Amino acid sequence: MTGAEDTIMAKAAAWHAASESDAMDWDAFTLWLEADPRHRAAYDEVALADLRLQELSPSMERPPVAANDAEPDWSDEPARPMHRWRWAAGALAAALVAVLAVPQFMVGDPQVFVTGAASHTIALNDGSEITIAPNSKLEVSADEERLALSGGAWFDIVHDPDRPLSIAAGDLTIRDIGTRFDVQDTDGRVRIAVDEGKVHVSSPILTAPVQLAAGQALTFDPTGSGVRVANSQGAKAGGWREGRLTYDNTPLSLVAADLSRYAAIEVAVDPRLQDRKFSGTLIVSDGETTLRDLSRLMGLDIAADGDGYRLVPGGG
Amino acid sequence: MDKPIASETGLAAAFETHRNELLRFIAARWGDGSEAEDLLQDLWLKLRSVAEGPVANPRAYLFRMANNLVLDRRRAQQRAMRRDRSWLEAGGADDTSVDDRPDPAPLADALLEEQQEQEALQAAIADLPPGARRALVLYRFDGHGQAEIAAIMGISRSGVEKHLALAMRHLRDALADCGKSRLAASGEHGDADGQVPQPGMER
Repeated sequence: MTGAEDTIMAKAAAWHAASESDAMDWDAFTLWLEADPRHRAAYDEVALADLRLQELSPSMERPPVAANDAEPDWSDEPARPMHRWRWAAGALAAALVAVLAVPQFMVGDPQVFVTGAASHTIALNDGSEITIAPNSKLEVSADEERLALSGGAWFDIVHDPDRPLSIAAGDLTIRDIGTRFDVQDTDGRVRIAVDEGKVHVSSPILTAPVQLAAGQALTFDPTGSGVRVANSQGAKAGGWREGRLTYDNTPLSLVAADLSRYAAIEVAVDPRLQDRKFSGTLIVSDGETTLRDLSRLMGLDIAADGDGYRLVPGGG
Repeated sequence: MDKPIASETGLAAAFETHRNELLRFIAARWGDGSEAEDLLQDLWLKLRSVAEGPVANPRAYLFRMANNLVLDRRRAQQRAMRRDRSWLEAGGADDTSVDDRPDPAPLADALLEEQQEQEALQAAIADLPPGARRALVLYRFDGHGQAEIAAIMGISRSGVEKHLALAMRHLRDALADCGKSRLAASGEHGDADGQVPQPGMER
């Protein structure tokens, strides 16, 4: 690259970096663009490179940076004993804080845990731990053998072949459980991803039970395509605990439902988009940023819709 | 909480007021004046459908929107070009045209390309001076705005812009090199008219 081209590229980058600010001088930028067709080409290259980074960064490792922005330390919150349940603050992404949990204790009755905007970790008597996702509900029978989930949860279960533990999610029942796996129930549509060990999944509406091993994920849609088992392709199960939502050919309506659960933003999907699928990873920062990332990745537009937003087909 | 539409936030009025300047900007930014009116029309439609909060500076907002619109269209153009090319290379074009295929599965080439680009970007970021690297990571990996980055790093807003401008140049260089080596590696020497169809090679 010649010195002149280098100078043009530097100027193009400076314009691009300035364009987010209200102080940007758009008239001067217009004049600069008009002065030489190479200016426009250089600007396109820089801006497209930045756009490409925005597309790819959700699935890239965050580069290490020096200095004083160390990760927040979540481990210093003391576990608080409460009845025989132990509540522990899990390692949560910053977006998943602040809570309302309503355990209802009655001897013999199931105990019900309802989360608000933050997740919560509970411990069973055998040392198993369950992290209940935001806006979710987990019922635990008095003998701690039957669990029922609506919403999301991460299970880290101490494996004991003699204990008949089962977890109900939608029309599915998970049994023969060891050890670490994630379950997401979205109004009967269920996703299970196994990180370690294996689980056994059955349902009255399945002809045969399904065994899932580590690295495998199951999706179940009672109304549509039935059961699909796939390798999770390196995506870490339960990524929501670190603020990452990873998808593989997932219906857009499910992604939108996850945003409501994990990113605290109400997102409806235009009926024209009902067949669209999404593959990729979203970072849960603030909900609107995450929604914007999704809309850009899929070339969609965002429209206002009551208290929330609606994804609509892209205009350009 | 209802989100006011454009007509209620003064954006529609601002659009009319600045219409000619926006048109001139779009023509300069897109490079083909004959399509500028069309893009301006798109801007108007977008304005009416996009949710808006209060806008402090409607004029700057409209220019930024126009700038993004042009960039989106440029990207779509670039993608269509790449898709056509890989479709033809894959021996396609029998009974279905490219446009008829419903949402084609990502081709192996595209995945490979994406991986190469990720590696190139990662390497370029690693090579940045520490300040530029930190600003870029805060901006594009952590999702902070420039004002927030200035506060986090304890520097001025224009300092942040300088860091980001430097970082963006390196990103651009990395992707340009990545594209060249890919073309060389696949033995591809350009399309029918002898041009290597690489973004930004137009002069």
